[in-house]
Amino acid sequence: MKFMVIVKASPESEAGKMPSTELLAAMGKYNEELVKAGIMQDGAGLHPSSRGARVRFAGKNRSVIDGPFAETKELIAGYWIWECKSLAEAIDWLKKCPNPMESDSEIEIRQIFTSEDFGEALTPELREQEDRTRAMAEKNKK
Amino acid sequence: MRFMMLMIPKGYESAAPGTMPEAKAVEAMMKYNESLQKAGVLLALDGLRPPSEGARVSFAGGKPKVTDGPFAEAKEVLGGYWMIQVKSREEAIEWATRCPAGPNETIEIRQVQELADFPPEVQAVAQKYPEMQPHAGKSN
Repeated sequence: MKFMVIVKASPESEAGKMPSTELLAAMGKYNEELVKAGIMQDGAGLHPSSRGARVRFAGKNRSVIDGPFAETKELIAGYWIWECKSLAEAIDWLKKCPNPMESDSEIEIRQIFTSEDFGEALTPELREQEDRTRAMAEKNKK
Repeated sequence: MRFMMLMIPKGYESAAPGTMPEAKAVEAMMKYNESLQKAGVLLALDGLRPPSEGARVSFAGGKPKVTDGPFAEAKEVLGGYWMIQVKSREEAIEWATRCPAGPNETIEIRQVQELADFPPEVQAVAQKYPEMQPHAGKSN
């Protein structure tokens, strides 16, 4: 099962504060364990929302709002994509994670939809299109 | 430059377990996804099951604490994401505006941190973990 493991933002991450060498080393070691166990598929940190933007959709209208965005608790600072046997396994691994922030922090785990989940709404043509799109996106990564 | 486009659908925070997107919306989104891929900008994408099926781990005072979804105080939650590679922030925003999203949806655009963005001391530590750096050094 595939999961997105979402590191929530904190005042430090939104301020663009660099993590300490100790935290980086601890995270590096943890990430290495995740990779060696075959759990980690991908992961990235995001620049603060002050560098970001939001787009709102109303019919054909689009409006763009520049960051930063006020509700730090609702923002994300980074993520991993993990492959685990179950939510329980993902939680077990996540509990071993060093606190990613200097202050108290939170990480959310969400299961990723697969083609099978969509059932009949995903017609054979759409499923083929989906598979093709993903396969070619993988090539773009190289 | 890499950017995440984060889909934030209003109301998803209270979606019941097993909630699925509608077929019409899925079809329109697939067309959009294909256009991203054909333009050569799409790196990755995923839809997320609702928070009611998820969990959170919080780190207060160093001890991990697990809470099952749904999360009462959450006003905005992720429904999915795209990771794209484009030449500028403007180009990323332009792609986001082309998404066939509805009035209850917001897309947040966030630039991905590349190794080269960090100061030398930070890069030095990160380079000790080579398996971690599939995209190291790509800061365009």
